[in-house]
Amino acid sequence: MTIKVLGDVEFGEDLPAFIPDTSLETGAKFARLVGWDGPRFTDHEAAKKEGLPGAMIPGILSQGYLVAMIHNWAPPAEIIKIDTIFRAPVMADDDHTITGVVTDIDEDTALVEIDLTVSNGKGETRVFGTASVKLPQ
Amino acid sequence: MDADIEVIRDKYLNLNFDEKEFAIDPNITTEYARLCGETAERFLDPANEDFQAPPTYIASLSGSRMLPKDFPRFGIGMDAGKGIECLQPVKPGTTIIGKTHLHDIYTKTGRSGRMIFVVTRIEFFDESGSHLANSDSRMVMREKSK
Repeated sequence: MTIKVLGDVEFGEDLPAFIPDTSLETGAKFARLVGWDGPRFTDHEAAKKEGLPGAMIPGILSQGYLVAMIHNWAPPAEIIKIDTIFRAPVMADDDHTITGVVTDIDEDTALVEIDLTVSNGKGETRVFGTASVKLPQ
Repeated sequence: MDADIEVIRDKYLNLNFDEKEFAIDPNITTEYARLCGETAERFLDPANEDFQAPPTYIASLSGSRMLPKDFPRFGIGMDAGKGIECLQPVKPGTTIIGKTHLHDIYTKTGRSGRMIFVVTRIEFFDESGSHLANSDSRMVMREKSK
């Protein structure tokens, strides 16, 4: 169900799972776009020479995935705050899934709190986020 | 709070140490949104009446310095997280000003020793001085063994 107003949101509801594009191609394009085109984001072999297991997805792209997921669920949602903790690298070309759950609804301010997690194919948490979003009443 | 951290907090917190202008290019903000997987038209379509940069775009804008010039180096810094606070939309085609200060300094001690966390905040303003957003970068430094 697409969320249009605050009344559509239920406490404890899971957001529809979101599959981010964590391909090396996308991560490298993003890194170049923001001027972070070091090998750790653009080339698996070069990243290994830096001692990494492979190329990584830039942390701020992971943060962008979280916000995109919220807008997929609730297109009119206005992001008020989002805090992201990078627990472990999101490796390029590995499969990842983002899940989210509504943890609070404030009817007076129309704010909804959401916990968000980026996990890899082994179910390991790589990025954790909390967001506060405002919805029309 | 450790005494040495108290001293550093008193010396550095909430003092601007950098200021930089950023031209917000609509071609870049729309591509940024697309690569993140955004589907909302207000981030993708310059013709949309509410066209704006995606909320996390400001996280990609860096000041000239991450730390004040004489800030003590405890160890190699690693990116521990990012936070964004949106007060008003950032409009592509405009120029915004980022003013940087240290917002918080704190420690956590684990089995491998003390880790120092430093939160660098960039406050973004439009050209009329209206506060648009804050971007926090949290850096962790593992203290070198003495």
